[in-house]
Amino acid sequence: MANITKKVSWSSRADESGATGEGTPLLNGSEQPRHSRQLSEGRSIFQIGRLSTVDLEEEITSEEDSLRGRPKEIPHNEKLLSLKFESLDYDNIENQLFLEEERRMSYMGFRCLEISRWVVCGLIGFLTGLIACFIDIAVEELAGFKYQVVKENIEKFTEVGGLSISLILWAVLNSAIVMIGAIIVAFFEPIAAGSGIPQIKCYLNGVKIPRVVRLKTLVVKVCGVICSVVGGLAVGKEGPMIHSGAVVAAGVSQGRSTSLKRDFKIFEYFRRDTEKRDFVSAGAAAGVSAAFGAPVGGVLFSLEEGASFWNQMLTWRIFFASMISTFTLNFFLSIYHNKTGDLSSPGLINFGRFESDSVAYNLYEIPLFIAMGAIGGLLGALFNVLNYWLTIFRIRYVHRPCLQVMEAMLVAAVTATVSFTMIYFSNDCQPLGPEHTEEYPLQLFCADGEYNSMATAFFNTPERSVRSLFHNQPDTYNPLTLGLFTLTYFFLACWTYGLAVSAGVFIPSLLIGAAWGRLFGRLLAAITSSGSIWADPGKYALIGAAAQLGGIVRMTLSLTVIMVEATGNVTYGLPIMLVLMTAKIVGDYFVEGLYDIHIKLQSVPFLHWEAPATSHWLTAREVMSSPVTCLNRIEKVGTIVDTLSNTSTNHNGFPVVVQVTGSDEPAKLCGLILRSQLIVLLKHKVFVELARSRLTQRKLQLKDFRDAYPRFPPIQSIHVSQDERECMMDLTEFMNATPYTVPQETSLPRVFKLFRALGLRHLVVVDDENRVVGLVTRKDLARYHLGKHGLEELQLAQT
Amino acid sequence: MSLSKSSLSLLLFILNMSTIALSDGLNLTALHSADKLKQIPSLNRAAAAVVVNSPMFKPAVEPIFSLNLLSSFPEDLEISDYCKELLNIFGQRYVAYVSCLVPAARPVTVCQKCFSSFGSLREAYANISSESGPGNVSCSESLLRGDRLMVVNQLNTSLEELWTSSACDNCVTKGLQRLTNDTLYFMNTLNQTDDCFDKYRQGNHTELCKNCKSTYQELNELYGRMEKNQTMCIDIEDSMNMTRRLWSKYYNCSVPREETVPVIAVSSFMLFLPIIFYLSSFLHSEQKKRKLIHPKRAKSYTSLMNIQDKLG
Repeated sequence: MANITKKVSWSSRADESGATGEGTPLLNGSEQPRHSRQLSEGRSIFQIGRLSTVDLEEEITSEEDSLRGRPKEIPHNEKLLSLKFESLDYDNIENQLFLEEERRMSYMGFRCLEISRWVVCGLIGFLTGLIACFIDIAVEELAGFKYQVVKENIEKFTEVGGLSISLILWAVLNSAIVMIGAIIVAFFEPIAAGSGIPQIKCYLNGVKIPRVVRLKTLVVKVCGVICSVVGGLAVGKEGPMIHSGAVVAAGVSQGRSTSLKRDFKIFEYFRRDTEKRDFVSAGAAAGVSAAFGAPVGGVLFSLEEGASFWNQMLTWRIFFASMISTFTLNFFLSIYHNKTGDLSSPGLINFGRFESDSVAYNLYEIPLFIAMGAIGGLLGALFNVLNYWLTIFRIRYVHRPCLQVMEAMLVAAVTATVSFTMIYFSNDCQPLGPEHTEEYPLQLFCADGEYNSMATAFFNTPERSVRSLFHNQPDTYNPLTLGLFTLTYFFLACWTYGLAVSAGVFIPSLLIGAAWGRLFGRLLAAITSSGSIWADPGKYALIGAAAQLGGIVRMTLSLTVIMVEATGNVTYGLPIMLVLMTAKIVGDYFVEGLYDIHIKLQSVPFLHWEAPATSHWLTAREVMSSPVTCLNRIEKVGTIVDTLSNTSTNHNGFPVVVQVTGSDEPAKLCGLILRSQLIVLLKHKVFVELARSRLTQRKLQLKDFRDAYPRFPPIQSIHVSQDERECMMDLTEFMNATPYTVPQETSLPRVFKLFRALGLRHLVVVDDENRVVGLVTRKDLARYHLGKHGLEELQLAQT
Repeated sequence: MSLSKSSLSLLLFILNMSTIALSDGLNLTALHSADKLKQIPSLNRAAAAVVVNSPMFKPAVEPIFSLNLLSSFPEDLEISDYCKELLNIFGQRYVAYVSCLVPAARPVTVCQKCFSSFGSLREAYANISSESGPGNVSCSESLLRGDRLMVVNQLNTSLEELWTSSACDNCVTKGLQRLTNDTLYFMNTLNQTDDCFDKYRQGNHTELCKNCKSTYQELNELYGRMEKNQTMCIDIEDSMNMTRRLWSKYYNCSVPREETVPVIAVSSFMLFLPIIFYLSSFLHSEQKKRKLIHPKRAKSYTSLMNIQDKLG
């Protein structure tokens, strides 16, 4: 068993092959029940090569002995793959039940299905829009109340003294609100932490993240995001919208809620991973579209993140969902703002209109924009590196829920403190505008009729700050204010992202970028002196915001379109695209995007677009897991139960083999069956003997499998009596009779392509006589990645 | 013929007057419209000259066609005496209003001083634009929409805009009879504050700050209330702005920044908390370890290391 640990290096001596071959079953044999058939133990086929570890830097031999016999424990790092993640079953299981059902279904039935897909998409859009609207109104009301209280307090104490009490009040209010948000996230649903975009990215990539699309997650997410924005953290509510949209989609399309134990008996056909995932991509698009008022951007976001499974009709449906979502939000917000029917406030964040003459740009400004893109890339890379170290620290040391809540509260308190100090010491006073664009103007030590301009940036919800940075008069902020604001907000945002609160990183990035972009614009205007109408700070704030956001998240096409749509000005398409390109190129030189970093840190087996370069020499034989636990076509129930309940091998797919009776030939592959299917079969006791005795027994239908979806009961909850263990089970009807297979010599990129393009979960590796040699799963492929020292291999770990 | 001549010269007179009156106005809109107006008289003057000359000399080379067209309008296209009269009244009141506005530009008192003249101007314009006059004559067609330039209309529009942006409606009663009670009350309070300022102007300003604080405070609160109720016009805003500037900048009565020490103390305490938190969780919290799982693998000739050696 221990011989095969990564740390042990095998010398490639040919004469050892026999001996080690004998030992091979130990790899798993000692723990595995022997009833399961183990094929191809590699004895005759392979010679033993030198198995070696990939992380060469670590010590290899000294600890070797002491390590034997027990699993090795290492601190969490990014080079791990977690066992808890599984693939989605995107590939259709074409078993006999499926074929039967398809035969039974009429032409009208298929038409109805198509129509109900549209209905579902419309519902997704509508509900997502409603949720966005709810979040927006709740944040506006609660934050308005909070700022009003603090403002009155500050005004009171400015005169009579005791401003430190206001500071404490502000800090305590913030931490109290954030505490609520952190408690519900840390104790009830940790998966709702963060923006949710990494999780949705993984889901669209085909990874089943546990509990990510549950109703409870949605509730926690929505309440959490309201708390964290109202609590004054450096966060936005846009990222969580995408997650919320995805949850809505996953819920609506199923026509029932497992959490509430309500089944509406509709949309039953959609209760499988294939359909659900399509709807989730529509939900994510609807979320983006509600968040930014960018329907096309939403569609492209889904396209960028989950594009391997795409078709034209699906795109069109997703676009429909997006449009419905943004206009639902629009409509309800218009009611809220007492302008019923006015459909002109799309999106949670509204960049306002960039229309006046001064925001036109000229050819000679393009190099400036590109330079800003580079700055954005650098700053973004710095942000990501800092956040990476912080997140590692958090995973290793701040993993207890109560600690996480405390940390969030501390961040909230410090955010308030820093903001207050900044405002307190700022000397930047500006006259009040005629129509009061400033929501909560703080006078503090400014002259009467003026307000503290640092306060408009800090004493406000982040969205409003972004808008005032984009649109306020050119001389609203002096350069010192902008510089200080950029600096503090950069570190605050970096510190905040990754806390156990649900919150997005879009708005903080935009805010940082807008601040230094505006600074850039002001400095340009100062340098060029001659009245320079062209260097409008608002324009540079927009470009800076795009650069910073691009530098942090590294999205490309969808982000460009989102930004263009959010500004409502197509002419900015070119500069924004150039800026995002530059930011991505510069940033990628140093470190990956923030979302990718977090995906890695969560040890998710994420499949990128392509297999890592220079991996053509790897063949399926090296990649696959072997030996494979196979089942006979007619298998004893006891064997199946034992195989499933074996805790050490949490396999989900089992190749089904058939043994030619009477001959000595090894069994040949004839199908593939999933754990979930076996569990349903056991639950319904579909045994050969029972079927014979009770002829009237209802035949199992695909519906029975759907009813159990998606939370199949664990094997422990299924009771199988001793007598039943002796029964036999015929898997012929239920297994997927035509699983995808590859020969052993297939190269890794080929396997990868097949896997990625078809959305497979299991890929059987067979030899030339169709005997099962091994099984390739997502984790086998995802463990290779191109690091600094060439091809590296990630390790599997229990998390 | 004579009708058109006299009306044109009248117009010319009005326009010149208003140009003179407006050209030293500080208001941007006024300047702007004055610019526009400057072009109009010169055009008209040329036209008038041609009209005057045309019946006496008829040089063969001149494009007589157009001149003849001008001079031989049929009777019903000419404007009536009634309309001429209306236009005359409008001109006089326009001049009156503008000449009231200009001196009131700085400090802004346009609402208090000129609301009555604006009322009469408005009345004159209403007469022009009303559809029915005596004998069912409508002047609006000929005077307001007779040509592309629409002089009367434009003149009126620019002044209406001025009126709207000054928000004078908030300070004047309906029908432009008198100033509202709120405005008068505000002016009264303002005067008290100004008196107070005058009283303590000499000598130490701290004295002023202390003694005038109550009246100033009262004024400030009144202004805040009016701001909320939207019962302010430019006069009030401007006078309040001036007073505030006097108070804060000139007399330096703003609240000084005095509590730096407690604020710094509290904030540094707050900033210190996270450091303690992270240190303690680093030292006391158990580091989370991950159990490595060893996947089942077939063994083969090649290994990553070998290949990497080769590649390396």
